[in-house]
This record gives sequence, C-alpha cells and structure tokens, in this order.
Amino acid sequence: MPERLGSRFLAVVGHPVTVALVVAFGLGAVVIALTGGDPAAAFGEMLTGGFTGSGLRNTLGRMIPIVGMALAFSLAFRSGVLNLGGEGQMLMGALFGTMTAIVLPGPGPVVIVVAVLVGAAVGALWALLPALGQTMFQVPLLITSLLLNYVARATTSYLVRYPFGEPGAAFATTVAVPETNRIPDFQLLGGGISISLFFVVALVLLLAVVYRRSVFGYETAMLGYSGPFARYGGVDVKRKTLAVMGLAGAIGGLVGSHLVLGETYRYIDADMIAQTGFAWTGLMVSLLASNRPWAILVAGFFFSGLQIGGFAMERSTDVSFQLADVIQALVIVAVVSRLGLTWRRRRKLGEEIGPPQPEMEAAHVGEV
Amino acid sequence: MLAQLVDVSLWESVVRALIPVLLAAIGGLICERAGVFQISLEGMMLAGAFAAVAAAHVTGSAIAAAVTAAIAGVLLSLVLAFGAVSRGGNAIVLGVAINILAVGLTSFLLPQLFGVRGSFQPEGGVRIPGLVIPGLADIPFLGPVIFDLSILGYMALLLVPATWLFLFRTQFGLRLRGVGERPLAAETLGVSPTAYRYAAVITSGVLAGLAGAQLALGNVGVFTEGISSGRGWIAVVAVMLGRAHPFGVLAACLLFGFTEAFGFRLQGQGYPVQITDALPFVVTLVALVLARRRFRRLLDLTASTV
Repeated sequence: MPERLGSRFLAVVGHPVTVALVVAFGLGAVVIALTGGDPAAAFGEMLTGGFTGSGLRNTLGRMIPIVGMALAFSLAFRSGVLNLGGEGQMLMGALFGTMTAIVLPGPGPVVIVVAVLVGAAVGALWALLPALGQTMFQVPLLITSLLLNYVARATTSYLVRYPFGEPGAAFATTVAVPETNRIPDFQLLGGGISISLFFVVALVLLLAVVYRRSVFGYETAMLGYSGPFARYGGVDVKRKTLAVMGLAGAIGGLVGSHLVLGETYRYIDADMIAQTGFAWTGLMVSLLASNRPWAILVAGFFFSGLQIGGFAMERSTDVSFQLADVIQALVIVAVVSRLGLTWRRRRKLGEEIGPPQPEMEAAHVGEV
Repeated sequence: MLAQLVDVSLWESVVRALIPVLLAAIGGLICERAGVFQISLEGMMLAGAFAAVAAAHVTGSAIAAAVTAAIAGVLLSLVLAFGAVSRGGNAIVLGVAINILAVGLTSFLLPQLFGVRGSFQPEGGVRIPGLVIPGLADIPFLGPVIFDLSILGYMALLLVPATWLFLFRTQFGLRLRGVGERPLAAETLGVSPTAYRYAAVITSGVLAGLAGAQLALGNVGVFTEGISSGRGWIAVVAVMLGRAHPFGVLAACLLFGFTEAFGFRLQGQGYPVQITDALPFVVTLVALVLARRRFRRLLDLTASTV
C-alpha cells in the first residue's frame, strides 16, 4: 500500500497542472523580485486578499463572468472549434441585452428574462458569422472569430456613443437600467453577490451532464477528437459546428448581459472594453480544466481569487495587480508546453516512437 | 474620390501603416514555410513596442531600443519554439497564451517600472531615425512614398525580395521549405526540422519585436497599452492571403495599409473614429471570404473539417 500511495503522490506532484503552478508562481516571484518587490509578502497578500473575508465574496462574484466565459469556450473547444471570438460575442450580447432592459416596458422579472435572452441571441448571431464563414466558405473561424472582436469593439463603441448613448454624457454610456430591471443580489459574507452565480453553477451542472450523457455531447466530443472520424461515424460536422458556435456565443451574450444588468447597470463603453479580459481569462480557465465543467468551476474559482487578490496585493505592497494576469498566462504556457514530470514507463516508451509534430492534430485539441 | 486616391500624402501614410504589419508578416511567413503556425505575432509586437520604449527611456538610444525590442520578441518566440517544437504542444493554444502573456506583462511592467497606467512617453523623444535617400527622394510620387522612410521601413521593404531570394534561391531556403512540407523527408536527408523551426520562430520574434519598435517609436514616440491593436493578427491574415509568398504577403499588407490610411482620411473628414478602427478588420474579413478555398491546410490544422 505505501508504494501505491507513493506513486499517487508522485503523480500529483508531477501532474502538468502542479508543475505549471510551481513554474508560474516561481517565475512570478522572479518578476516581483526583479522589479524591486518582496515575493513572499506579495503572494501572501494575494492569497489572503482573494480567498478570505470580503475578498472571497468578490472572488465569488468574479467567478460569474470568468466561469461563464470558460464554459462558453469549453463548449466550442472540446468540439475542436477554435472560437477566439468570446470578446465580441460578450460585448454584442451585453449591449443589446442592456438596451432591451432599458426600453422594454413590463414587470421587472419578465423584462430581465427577455433582456438576457436577447443578449444571448445577439451573442449567438455574432458567433454564427464566423461559423458560417467556415461551413459555407471554408474560411477558418479561428481567425475570423478573432478579427470580429475588433469589429465588435468598434460597433458597440459607435452604438453606445451615438444612437444608444445617454445624451449629454461626458463619456460613452447608455442611461442606467431601471432599478426594477436589474438582476438582484443575495447576501453573503457581509455583502451582495449577484444571483447570476446560481445560474452559472447550474450551467456547470447542465454542461457536465450534456458533455458526458447526451448524444450531442458525445458527437461534439468525437468532432473534437477527430473531424474525419466523426464524419465517418455519421456526425453532421457543419451542423455541429454551427450549433456549438451558436451556443458558445449565446453563453457569451448571457455573461455580457449579466455584467451590465447584474453589476454596473449601465453599458459604459470604456468599462466594457476593459472587461473583455474576462473572455481570455475564461479561455485560460477552460484550458487549465481541460474543458471539463466541474474542473472549470474549481479553476475559475482559483483564477478569480488570484485577480481579486491581485487588487489587495497592489493596495498593500506596491506590486501592481496585473501580476495575476502574468501568472495566469504563465500557468497556461506551462500546461500547454506539457511540462508534466512523468515517472511512468509508458510515457517514455511513447516518446521514443518519435517527437510529436508541432502541427496540431485533432487529437490534441481537447486534451491540450 | 479618384483625386483622393492618387494623392501622394495618402500613399505616404499607406506605406507607413503597412511597415509594422509587413515586418511581422515576413516573420510569420518564414514560420509558415517551416511548418509552424505562428499566431503570437500580436503579442511579440506588443512586447517589442514596450521594450523599445523602455530602452529608449533608459538609454536614450534608438539602436538600443530596436535591439531590446528584438530581444523581447525573441524571448517570447522561444516560448513558442520550446512549447510547440520541442515539447510538441499545440501551437495555436500556445500562440494565444503568448499573446495573453504579452498583454499581462506589458500592463504589469508599465506601472511597476514607470509608475504610470495607460500610456508612457519616454524621456528624450527618441525615434527610429528616418533616412531621406538623396536624389531618389526627389522623384515625383515615388520619392516621398518609398524613399523617405525610417530605417526599419527600408528594412521591411528590402526584406521582401531578400526573403524571396532566401526561400527560393538558396540551399537554406530550400531546406526550410522542405522542413515545412515534408519534415520526415528532410530529416532523412540529414536536415534537422527542429533546428530550422527554432530558427524560423526566433526570426519571427526578431521581426515582430522590431515591428513593435517601429509602431511605438516610428511616428509617435509613445507606448500605450494594447498599442499593437490587432496588427499582429492582420499580419497572420496577410500570411494566409499571400499564401506565405513574400510578394503575395506584401500585396496583402498593401491592402491593409491602404485601408488603414483610407480610414484615417475618412476620420479627417468627420466620419466617426470607429469606422477607422473597424475598416481594416472588415476589409480583412471580406478578403478572406473572397480568397476562400485557399486555407485547407489551416482548416485541417484547426481540426474543424467541413
């Protein structure tokens, strides 16, 4: 038994995620030291600031967009659909969801539901553009979905500044969403957290079931492992590509709508552009979690805590909060570079067959 | 409208706009020829811009700025080379991660080193020096357009034929293409795909870093967060549209340079700034759709088959 425990221990220590965390925090410490800070103090502030007291509450609140965008990304990525357009899908959904909540008359709860559904629909439509580009014109959506982020930024900026903007405002913003049409908070740890958190957790649960138990989940996973194989097995690749992109965009639109209806209550252009970072954090969370919903919840909690902790760290140690972004990116670089330590024979034998080609193969997509 | 199009000053800004994109795209095309899908140009360009401004601030020297920018690009490119070539990691995901890393690092170091957020103007007003070629600069039209550039501008334009010569008229170029197209065959003949791919990726790091230096210290002399603003991605598209051929890539870069310059002109006539921002990307997307069925390899690469 001790032997098995020992190998278990080694497997955890050598796991790519463990190694990645050690490498990332190690390099982060070097960066802090080089720029004249105290790594131990900075990391201490980061962890206590992100995972205790009111910081923990803020971390839970920040999980909403981060886990949400991670789920959106996982949906496409596990199907081998490389959707880099989360930013744009989020922004477009946010703006149209907000406008619906502002102009639509009716009882609050109904308006909220309609507004977030409009946000989801617009996010889905925006995501379908690159998907259709790929299925109809064979233009890789990897690149088009990304380029559309810049178009979405310009489009939302324009709309918020001119037709949808608050007249006479000093900066580009919509008017405030009426109080009845805002997503309510619940009380926890001495403050409010948007009830959207429950919906995000429900979405984790839902996707966990869909991925593992449904035909859709199976077929899209096959698509991720191997496109030709999935097609040979009778999967309609085009329709599945459109479906996962539409759903990913819809989740992006939901997250965007939440950011206004549940947090800021106004669509402020500069503010929303700054929040596009959630799309990329979400992408990294999904990669770290190998696109598995429950793991996304855990990784999302961790990354949210690092970001919230980063603010606390900046307040008390003069190390700026963007260190959290640096560490997160380093974690992902290390994970993707497969910096795992293996003690097992099997891996070594596998490596002798020949170095893997740098070109990506379908089989590597899901597993990263 | 036509009078505007042949206007010399428009073409001057076309060439200025295309230079950073062209520098990065040449690096991208060399990687593509070596069989490495390079999408971290955006991040390397951003890092290069930051490094150039930081070095200009500290040393007051344009040469030091350019060298530091190239080093910053190379350091990031080594992440891709190590992860994708040595470790067999997914080049696309690594590229995305490197871009995010560059955004994080530059926005972290900006307040950390210089105590400012958003943008930073180095002391001394260092610029990448310009060079007016005597005689040639007096040629009507062509003179001001292509004989009155920064040093890096000439470098970018000269690299186009130089890269063509290298790829199609030298032994190393032949081997590089061999590594990209038939890595096993190349290896059998004693050509190391790893070495060639490292060299290609590092070259793209140098060029994208210099592209960043040109961006930050070419005209304005300031670093702003996200200064690359998608130009690295446009360079990726230029490689796709130009089919990784130096002159094709130049033509694609001309299209983008023209779009950007034209957008600025529209802005000058009172059109909203968002049109300027969106135009290069909209034109790029349209060009991609028009040039469809050229991207099979990339489609296979991204696994989503149609």
